[in-house]
Amino acid sequence: MNAFDFAAPTTVEDAVKLLGVPDAEALSGGTDLLGRLKDYASSPKRVVYLKDVKALAGISGDATDGLTIGAGTRLADVLADKAVKESYPALWQATLEVGTPQIRNMATVGGNLLQRPRCWYYRAGNGLLAVKDGKSLVREGDNRYHAIFETDGDALFVNPSSLAVPLIALGAKAVVAGPRGERTIAVEDLYQIPKSGKDSELTLAPGEVVTKLVLPPAKGLNASYEARQKQAHDWPIVLASVNLNLDDHKVASSRIVVYGVAPIPWRSKAAEEALAGKLLNPESAAAAAAASIAAAKPLSMNAYKVGLTQTVVKRALMVAMGNRYWEG
Amino acid sequence: MDLTWPEKPTLIGTKVPRLDGLAKASGRAKYPSDQLPEGTLFAVMLYSPHAHAKIKTLDVKPAQGMPGVKGVVAIAKEGATLRYQGDDVAAVAAVTEEQARDAARAIKVEYEVLPHVVTEPQAMAPGAPEIVKGGNVRKGRSQDKGKADEELAKADVVVEGKYALPVITHVCLEPHGLTAKWEAADKLTVWSSTQAVQVVAGELAEAFQIPVANVTVLTDYMGGGFGSKFGADVWGRTAAELAKSTGKPVKLFLDRIQEHLAAGNRPSATGTLKLGASKDGKLVGLIAETHGTGGSRGGSNFPLPYVYDVPASSRSHSDVFVNGGGARAMRAPGHPQGCALMEAAMDDLAEKLGIDPVQLRLMNLPPNDPRTPIYEAEVKIGAELIGWTANRKPRGKNGDGPIRKGYGVALHQWGGGGTRDKKVSCTITADGTVELKSATQDLGTGIRTVLAIIAAEVLGLKPTDVVSNIGNSTFPPGQASGGSTTTASMAPPCLDAATKARDALFAKIAPALGATPADLSLKGGRLLIEGKPSISWKDACRKLGTASISEMGATPEGLASTGVGGCQFAEVVVDVETGVVRVKKIVAVQDSGLIIDRLTWDSQVYGGGIMGLNYGLFEERIMDPTTGVMLNPDMELYKLAGATDVPEIVLHAYEPDDQKARGVIGIGEPPTIGTAAAIGNAVSNAIGVRVPEWPMSPRNVLNALAAASKDQEGKA
Amino acid sequence: MRKHDPKNGEEPGGASRRDFLRGSGLAAASAVLTGAATTALDEARAADDGPKVLSGEVEITLKVNGEDRKTTVEPRSTLLDTLRNRLDVTGPKRVCDRASCGACTAIVDGDPVYSCTTLAVTCQGKTIETVESFDVGEQGVPHAFHQNDGLMCGYCTPGFVTACKALLDKNPNPTLDEVRRGLDGNICRCGTYIGVLQAALDAAKAMKGA
Repeated sequence: MNAFDFAAPTTVEDAVKLLGVPDAEALSGGTDLLGRLKDYASSPKRVVYLKDVKALAGISGDATDGLTIGAGTRLADVLADKAVKESYPALWQATLEVGTPQIRNMATVGGNLLQRPRCWYYRAGNGLLAVKDGKSLVREGDNRYHAIFETDGDALFVNPSSLAVPLIALGAKAVVAGPRGERTIAVEDLYQIPKSGKDSELTLAPGEVVTKLVLPPAKGLNASYEARQKQAHDWPIVLASVNLNLDDHKVASSRIVVYGVAPIPWRSKAAEEALAGKLLNPESAAAAAAASIAAAKPLSMNAYKVGLTQTVVKRALMVAMGNRYWEG
Repeated sequence: MDLTWPEKPTLIGTKVPRLDGLAKASGRAKYPSDQLPEGTLFAVMLYSPHAHAKIKTLDVKPAQGMPGVKGVVAIAKEGATLRYQGDDVAAVAAVTEEQARDAARAIKVEYEVLPHVVTEPQAMAPGAPEIVKGGNVRKGRSQDKGKADEELAKADVVVEGKYALPVITHVCLEPHGLTAKWEAADKLTVWSSTQAVQVVAGELAEAFQIPVANVTVLTDYMGGGFGSKFGADVWGRTAAELAKSTGKPVKLFLDRIQEHLAAGNRPSATGTLKLGASKDGKLVGLIAETHGTGGSRGGSNFPLPYVYDVPASSRSHSDVFVNGGGARAMRAPGHPQGCALMEAAMDDLAEKLGIDPVQLRLMNLPPNDPRTPIYEAEVKIGAELIGWTANRKPRGKNGDGPIRKGYGVALHQWGGGGTRDKKVSCTITADGTVELKSATQDLGTGIRTVLAIIAAEVLGLKPTDVVSNIGNSTFPPGQASGGSTTTASMAPPCLDAATKARDALFAKIAPALGATPADLSLKGGRLLIEGKPSISWKDACRKLGTASISEMGATPEGLASTGVGGCQFAEVVVDVETGVVRVKKIVAVQDSGLIIDRLTWDSQVYGGGIMGLNYGLFEERIMDPTTGVMLNPDMELYKLAGATDVPEIVLHAYEPDDQKARGVIGIGEPPTIGTAAAIGNAVSNAIGVRVPEWPMSPRNVLNALAAASKDQEGKA
Repeated sequence: MRKHDPKNGEEPGGASRRDFLRGSGLAAASAVLTGAATTALDEARAADDGPKVLSGEVEITLKVNGEDRKTTVEPRSTLLDTLRNRLDVTGPKRVCDRASCGACTAIVDGDPVYSCTTLAVTCQGKTIETVESFDVGEQGVPHAFHQNDGLMCGYCTPGFVTACKALLDKNPNPTLDEVRRGLDGNICRCGTYIGVLQAALDAAKAMKGA
């Protein structure tokens, strides 16, 4: 870890000012940033600690009017929130499966959304796209945990946020404070697929801070399901969140979002279309799941993720229906 | 009269909490990496970022000028070849660790990067760069017994399978390293995280050309070794060198990355096995072609055939050299690999023969082998404990739902036993103190407590009444802790020392008590005269006056033995839609002669099973062919079980009287050998398909299922 | 207890590295962000109109196991390295150094966290508890680990004991499954989990007897 300057503002305004210089990084729980610093994958000149900004933490509102979650809210506090647990199970379940008790006491919702990819080539100092001498290290190397969608380009990492997936499914908005004031964007708009090594996968400008997440009123059904190798501390291999609005048992609209398959949280429009207007049942869930993988183009070592994605999407839909068929 | 283990022990074989357990559980135990003598400098290693490179220039000057830096040492010379990522280049000692890290990075090294091979396919590919003279593949001489090819040609049933296990690393939680302090120009004290205090002392004495008596290696506690911590290593010698040049104590422990890269690993194993049997299940022959990599050092061979009686076999093994850190002994070196390959082939054969896998194993135990009746008894017990007959279904007949349950079994063996040249001293002083001393060390196996139990048994005391001092290289010669030999080496001289000390005490105090030594005995903290309770232990010792008793124990015949069997069963559930495997239950049946502390024995067997579960489900060192680096040098993508991953484990100590009569043998290694094999077999029983590659990850399971269904389509 | 003070190292350039508050007249006040000094800093901030930036070496006070401990760190110094290297509080261990294994677990303001992944400068004014402060009597968690042999080499043990204590403080009646989940942030290489799980259940009982 290289040395850095450190500041701990207590207001959003000061945080924005402090972050508005080149080579500044925000620190919340630290569970992503400190690892990157120790691996020299990032070496900011300034670290701005956001946890003393009390205005960033806390949950308000309810399922009827919509919920506002401060970006500085710790994951442990999200889990303790009754409204999240009862009305936004997609978010609650995904949060429960993040990291460990210690990590959930440290990490914040904003930090989870804005953490950098865990791609091992990136973490080993090969840059975000890990292209060396014109060759993609990921494509030629060990890509078992990498993307299966949008794999024609050089960005082959997967977005590491398991909370982005349910938040996007739930249609949440992010409120962003910055040097030019406040703006509100859809959570999916926090992310982009970088086209070159100069791009980031995050869309925030220098000095911008996500201050809160605004969830619309909870209607319909929502759920998450993830598959992972270890049951204790592990990353999901694939995680899916679904949010379904029903009209007379038929799916009026839906959002189906998948983690672990693309450089951005992957919204499966194909699955959503397959489900549109259908009665929600195991058959339509299976059909939507099958549609979700139609565009998959796996890399040399991750074809297993294609079938796994199909299963995970299907199971997320089945959980939404209250049918955990695999639990016997 | 020959010394024997007590016939009716009150302590031996019971559950005795370890003497240092509370110190460890309360954070008070000071490990070598916790030592911080006044003025300690922090040292940090600089290691090769490349898998294969020549050092063109190495300039340590920029580091010398950095804040806080007190010493810099170049380990590699200009022109030297570095053979793996993590190979040692230089080290820095500074006032703070942050400063030392900065300074290590300031060292200027110009590398000429050389072509590398880091995976076996890479190393074995035609035209691969040769990283060792004579080629990357060193084929050993074929070991032949009989004419296996002829026997297989005649066999009723033959199976051929290819199975593979990855390289794994030791992941000792306390990294390798030591804290060094020079007491005088020729007198060195080190706190070393080691399995062999006397080996470290010898190595340092030689490195610095000082008498070994002037080197004190202290290891009161150490945070895991598993076979990788027998020497001072480059790091230890470097720390001592920096301590010498700076005149300050220096602490140098590897970071987790270098720990994975350079501090040892268990070699991989890949094998094509052709195993044949008569239709009634008698093995007739095995032809096995295997290879593995021990990194830049070789040493990847493993026992095969394993356990079973194979009348004719032909086995050839190739060591594959790659640009990776060298292998080191790891908990039962070679056996987990040999066991997994053999047991996988046995199960596949049982399937083809239509014979119950347990029966096939029992049918093929070697005749006239003392282990055979032990295996027969153990397998029977294990099968009952897992509910083999009641619960197990034939391979692939575990329903058509997404969750499939399966059962697997594996048998293993180990030598253990002890050396005969180790010593324990037992000193009794007039205040009643009993002190044992020996230069062995406790890796967490419990030897400190085991010695105290033995002395307490002889002296009629409680184990906590005994001061059990080990982990000091200046003490009487003690066993290096490897090969499950510590207890078998140290328990006999301890019994001998305590017995001699007791007898010497009796001889000394009997006259004052108006008794003969033969009238005296000890029980429950009291001296007995002709079997009647008399004065307390302390009062008895008080009669020593200014004298004290000190006896050195040697190793009498008949107190230790060698050679154990053992078997393990696993129950798993596999989700065939996600490939996720969960182990629900492990049954471990294990013989090990006479058990001294049943509590720490249990812990060893539980822990062996859990380490085997890690090998079965999670662990693999993942190397990048292009850049030549390890991609998961951490404890997150290098996966190890957490609490939720740990199943129910049922132990059975196989310890009938004839086993106890064998004396102590050792338990560290055997219980980790068969677990991964049993899990692999349970998975294939559950899903009807052999998963040929460990670990049983979702990827390997789904790939095996996909390959099988493609096969089916091809046939259809 | 001896204190390891890097400032005794008279390193070259030490003076300039101690000039840690660039462009600010608040050196003394913001160095110690506890108690009265925090108030002083807040007041100064209001007057100075701008966030302050620490760099180089920083003198901090940490409340460790009930005791105020003053030491000098850098902004990048982790809580773990500060405890172990500077304050000789060596119960928490450095194992993975990446928020994976739990050996460094400390309880900060009542919550178990990974001290290897927490900056020391962010812990001023908070209560820091390590395994050394726990009850070692029969009603304590360490005793239960000892009796159940929930340890072998023992290097992960302080972290497990700390995570266990934090779990039981919040949930005095955990089920076995809750114990597992509560300890999933810790890894043992020797494989002592069976003893650990029983120790946690036993400790829960014993603590209620307290």
